[in-house]
Amino acid sequence: MNVLKVSRWTIAAFVLPCLILYAGIVFVPILVSMYSGLLEWNGIGESRFIGFENFKNLFFHDPVFWPSVRRTLLFAVFSMAEIPIALLVAILLKRYIRRPNFLVSSYFLPVILSVVVVGQLWKTIYNPASMGGMLNQVLEAVGLGSWTHEWLTDPSVAMYSLYFVALWQYLGYHTLIQYTGILNVPEEIYEAARIDGADGFAADRYITFPNIIPIFKISIVLAFIGSLQAFDMVMVMTGGGPAHATDVISTHMYNMSFLSMKYGYGSSIAACLVVLCLAATFLINLIFNKLEKRFS
Amino acid sequence: MAKMSKWLSLAMAGALAFSLTACGGKADEGSASSGAGTGGDKAGTVKEKNVTITFQNIYPDPTDPKNKLMNKLVKQYESEHPNIKIELDSLNTDQQKLKLKTQAASKEVPDITVVNPAAQMQPFVEAKLLAPLDDMLDQNGLRGTFQDGLLDWYSFDGHTYAVPDGNNIGVVYYNKELFEKGGVQVPTTFEEMVDVVKTLKSKGIQPMAIGEKDTWTGSFLFMNMLLRTNNGPGFLKDVLDKKKTFEDPAFKEAVDAFQNLIQAGAFQEGVTSFDYNAGENLFKTGKAAMYFMGTWATGGIETSSVNGKVGVFKFPTINGKGNPDEFMLAPGSAFAISADSKHLDETKAFLNWFMLNFPKEAFEAKGAVGIGQKVDGDFKAAGYSDMAMEVLNLFKDVKGGDLAFDNTMNPGTAQAHLASIQNLFVQKKDSAEVAKEHQSAFEANNK
Repeated sequence: MNVLKVSRWTIAAFVLPCLILYAGIVFVPILVSMYSGLLEWNGIGESRFIGFENFKNLFFHDPVFWPSVRRTLLFAVFSMAEIPIALLVAILLKRYIRRPNFLVSSYFLPVILSVVVVGQLWKTIYNPASMGGMLNQVLEAVGLGSWTHEWLTDPSVAMYSLYFVALWQYLGYHTLIQYTGILNVPEEIYEAARIDGADGFAADRYITFPNIIPIFKISIVLAFIGSLQAFDMVMVMTGGGPAHATDVISTHMYNMSFLSMKYGYGSSIAACLVVLCLAATFLINLIFNKLEKRFS
Repeated sequence: MAKMSKWLSLAMAGALAFSLTACGGKADEGSASSGAGTGGDKAGTVKEKNVTITFQNIYPDPTDPKNKLMNKLVKQYESEHPNIKIELDSLNTDQQKLKLKTQAASKEVPDITVVNPAAQMQPFVEAKLLAPLDDMLDQNGLRGTFQDGLLDWYSFDGHTYAVPDGNNIGVVYYNKELFEKGGVQVPTTFEEMVDVVKTLKSKGIQPMAIGEKDTWTGSFLFMNMLLRTNNGPGFLKDVLDKKKTFEDPAFKEAVDAFQNLIQAGAFQEGVTSFDYNAGENLFKTGKAAMYFMGTWATGGIETSSVNGKVGVFKFPTINGKGNPDEFMLAPGSAFAISADSKHLDETKAFLNWFMLNFPKEAFEAKGAVGIGQKVDGDFKAAGYSDMAMEVLNLFKDVKGGDLAFDNTMNPGTAQAHLASIQNLFVQKKDSAEVAKEHQSAFEANNK
């Protein structure tokens, strides 16, 4: 702080406007929505304070909530499991490709596409063969007719089909982050290690990985939070159907707030989502702080 | 030095903040004065004050005849009343529903907006967001232009709160060419209909199309079957009045019949990922033989490639029950006026004029099939298609019927119902279980 040669008050004066703005558009709405979660309110008429009734119903009587939590968390697990793969791709790019910019951009391309476009695209790919679905047609053409599914409408596979699209879309994003992280590791370390006989994957294990743990952490947090908030993809491809089979927390919240017009109840789901996000971020930070200490 | 820079930076920060606010203030003043200036100019020539009316509507598609006629009427009104400006807020149906709910939550309902009949508009009426339109209806005889009894769906406690642009019924459209190719006749009973489905299927023709991602489509069909198995209308009303429950045999019979149709392979594969338009397109491109929908689809089918090959029939009886002359009734979306409108009188005057001219313009734009007002004029001579004439003739047979589920039950129950019916498209379920699902959702949402 002293490097800047300004007092704390000055810093406070400069930070304050932004802080107020940030609190106003982030924390105040969160608190308001938590308060709305205690109301019985259809969003337009009179509201009635009912204490924790909404939460009680949500936790004990809502047949859709817990399965949607399970699907959301499973999505988060898959997204996080994708990061090591992204890291591997990044390492391979760095090692074997001299000018990997083109490849990195190509992997990144789906991220730029709007989720609606990606959703519509995959919807057509997943379609039944009779409706021109590419995946099923390919499976039939190579003699794997028994593997065909109604990918988006069979309740037992629909959710996995959605996971796959999301993972496909964000692989490039995480690869780019990891790749940039690897580029920031000084080349001298590798050279020194090579003299000491650490090359190839041994170097990755002892040099690359410890050095990019902070970057790795960012990816994990982004993947986790991103999948907790998954909404657009589900909405475009299945709308949460068939019969809630692909509902995640956020689509359930949308259904309740806007379609069923239970604004208070929807807000209580939102409150749970916020708590879940905060808890997860806290937990991930804790784990990574330990990891960082161990490796450095 | 440190102290010096501290004060300097504070001063700078202050100056920065001050200049920002000063800028904002000036800009405000500027616009206010210029606004007053133009206002003053106009007030000098026309004596009335300037009024801007926000007109939220669901006609965003420029190829839709209703969009054209709306633009035409609005322009005409503006040129006749130079002090009135009408600002259009054209949205898709779903977007409009969502936007209105958000606006209603902050009590900023546009001057004119669109609501749906009965149970769907009830929360808005109860929250006192909509202005009663009785006086507007009595002006220039507007009330008399609507079909008898139609305004009842938009009336609460003796006041009418909205005026509908349409009134439709549920019918089965069928592709005559595909029927001929499959060697089948128009079914007169539901049992025959299932046979037709099986025959068409065996000949490689897709029997029916539906866009079941938008869950209301399946529900609309299901409710028509319930209208038959219940031997007449009023099942949901009886449930609401606690005279019946969803576990009534009529309801279970409807579920079983509905499942028979699905299990016979009536609908296309992957049906729950087809949205409304995608489902309808299967029929409109001649890839499906039958399509159950409200008569609002007539215009779209007329402009598609199957035009001229399409006929309509009434949904048949099930197990000998029900009367085919009873239809699913779909009183259309309706224009309402915000109770907090700043220009209530001007808005009412405009809407009154708009609705008075609506039927004539719609008739000329060939969009008069299924509008909510009486139309004088010879449809045949005006060049309406044979299918449109068939549909118009069905209207003459209407002997009552039921409203869609979400127009009758509250939104919570309706959503549970929609999901439960959608589920039947992907897995076979015991009808007793479906009935129980409905009943418990109804009880949970009507405490």
